[in-house]
Formats: sequence, structure tokens, C-alpha cells
Amino acid sequence: MKKGRIYTIIFMLVISAVFTLLLAGANSYYLPKIRENEQLAEKTAILYVFDIDQSGSASEVLARFDENVKETTVSGVDLYAYTSSDGAPIAYAVPFSGAGLWGTINGYMGVSADLDKITGLVFTSHSETPGLGGRIDELSYREQFKNLKITAGTKLAYGEDGGGQIDAITGATSTSNAVLRILNQLLDDTISQMEEANND
Amino acid sequence: MTEKFKEVVSRNVWKDNQVLRQILGICSTLAVTNLMLNSLVMGLGLTFVTAFSSLTISLLRNVIPRRVRMIVQTLIISAYVILVDIFLKANLTDISKALGPYVGLIITNCIIMGRAEAYAQKNPPLVSMLDGFFAGIGYTIVLLIIALFREFLGFGTIFGFDVNFIGFETWTIMVMPPAAFFLIGVLIWITSNVFAPGKGKKS
Repeated sequence: MKKGRIYTIIFMLVISAVFTLLLAGANSYYLPKIRENEQLAEKTAILYVFDIDQSGSASEVLARFDENVKETTVSGVDLYAYTSSDGAPIAYAVPFSGAGLWGTINGYMGVSADLDKITGLVFTSHSETPGLGGRIDELSYREQFKNLKITAGTKLAYGEDGGGQIDAITGATSTSNAVLRILNQLLDDTISQMEEANND
Repeated sequence: MTEKFKEVVSRNVWKDNQVLRQILGICSTLAVTNLMLNSLVMGLGLTFVTAFSSLTISLLRNVIPRRVRMIVQTLIISAYVILVDIFLKANLTDISKALGPYVGLIITNCIIMGRAEAYAQKNPPLVSMLDGFFAGIGYTIVLLIIALFREFLGFGTIFGFDVNFIGFETWTIMVMPPAAFFLIGVLIWITSNVFAPGKGKKS
């Protein structure tokens, strides 16, 4: 069947419009749920770096989050603070963002309020290879950073260079190095900025 | 005349298996097969997209202008892939996170376009949908076979359960893409002897 040019153009317009509408519809229908999921994931991640129980239903997690965690600014850094009932900070969740191997890696690093140790590490989004670099999400990797001592000018390093406390992921050298680069930069810039403000 | 149900199944799952016989969809076979779970979800996602895009393309086959048919096919395929992506994000957050960018890459899987172009363009809707569905199932089965070896040897687990009872040293190479090359090669070699024994080439 031969069809004219005008028919082709009209056909393309119509079919594009139909499928665009379909997708827009599905997107706006699911958007609130997706946002909710994202927020829950974010808040669960922050509870994790503070080592607060993250189990239970969504509403329980959100309640626990609101009870313990406040969004605040400490010496010019926007972060989440874990405060005790009398309002004194126990730890901070400092957001970070940097280039991984394939895309941006976002996440939070938990540091104690006196800035002398890491309380936890979590990645909220990344596009590393599943099964290779994607394994930075696994607890066995992230738990290595828990309770790691940091002092002014600390540089994190894998293996013997770093005192044998953290190991890279085998087969995912580039991603492992990217994570360290991001964290070291965070320590260099943000954490030392907070430290200086603390000392003043 | 349209094919019988049984023929569609045996052709797609076995005789003309998309991965083993047509060597299509290799990129994703290399990429996601280091974990059984990822392979399963990828396979199901692809099966869904292939089935529904074949159905849609077949329904529209008489009104799509020939010269733009590939653009239209791509448009339809991407629409379904985005639907899958949105659905996974809303309802299966963990899996959506584990698969990461691979869901979007279903669009570029040659199998979907292959079925659309080779089958759905000239066959009635229902049988096209079945054809797409079983092409996806055939792909999923091959993925799972490869993932079984890679996950077992690479991590000592199957579907995330530890089955490394004798405590052997896991093979890092199995986790990395080259291992999939070896395994696909071996699998194609073995199966090609079954499909066409004694022949170097199927002619």
C-alpha cells in the first residue's frame, strides 16, 4: 500500500501525540507514589547513617525520622542532624555528590557531632555497573566505613595505605576509587569547614 | 496462514532462540547475567515489552506508512519501556534500583525490534503477541542459565542464597562481562551441535 507524504506526517503527529499522552498520564498517576518512595528511601538512608533502627512500616520509619532527625545548617553546610531529646546534636548526615565511573554518585556520610569519626555511609543514587561497581551499595562494603576515625587532614585510602581498615571492591577499581575521591573531597572541604567553625 | 501455538513456542524458546540461534540481545546478556535476580527481572521486563510492542505494531501494521515504520516501532517500544520503568519505580523500588540504567536499555535490545520487523509487521495481532512473549521467554531462559553459572561460581550464591557449602574460592572473572562471553560461546557451541549436528553452517 503506497501512502502519501501528508498521510505520513499526519500519522506521525497522531501516533506521537497518543503515546506522549499515554506516558504523561502514567507518569502523573504514579508520580506521587514515586516521590513517596524516593522520600522514604532518602529518610531510611539517613536513619542508617545515624545507626537508628530502620525497620517497620513506612509510617513508623517516617515517625522515627521526624522524632530524631532535623534538617538544619551547621556553619554554612546544609545537613541533617540527629539530636538527643534535649536538643544537643549527636551526629550529622552530610550529603555528598560526585562523579562515579558512569554517572553521579549521591549519598550521605554520617559524622559524629565532634567530627572525629564516621558513623555510617550510604548511597542514595548512582549509575554504577550492577554486580560490579554497584556493589558499593552492599553492606559488606559500606560497613567498613562505620566508626572509622577521622582527624584533621585524614585521607582515606584502601588496603595497607589506609591502615588496612577499608578494602576496595575486586573488579570495580574505578568505582571504588571514585568513592574515595568523593569522600576525601568531602572531608577536605565540608568537614574541615565545619571543624574550623567548631574551633572558633 | 498463521502459525499454531505450539510452533510459536518451540520456535522461539528452542529452535530459533533469539540469543543462541539468532545471536540477538547479546549486550544485555553480557551485562546483567552476573546475578540471577537481575536476569529474571530483565527477562520479564523484556518479555512484557516485546509482547506488547509486537501486539501494538501488529494492530497498526496496515496503517503504518512503510517508509517510517522503523521510527514508529522505536516510538512504540520506547513508550512501553518507559511504562515498565515508571511501574518498577512506583511498585518495586528495590529491583528498580538494582537494575539501574538497564531498564532504559531494554529499548535498544535488538530482539524487540527484530520481532517487530520480522514478525509483527506481517502477522495478526494475537499470534504476534505470543511470538513476542515467547521470544522474551526464550531470552529469559538463556539469561538464567548463564546467570546460574556466573552467580554460583562468581559469588557462591543462587538467587542471593549462599550455596557455597564446600567453601571454594569464588572466581572474580565470573562477575565481570568477559565471563559472559565465554559462557555464551560455550552455550552456543553446545547447542549448535544439537540444532545442526555435523554442520559448520546452517544453510
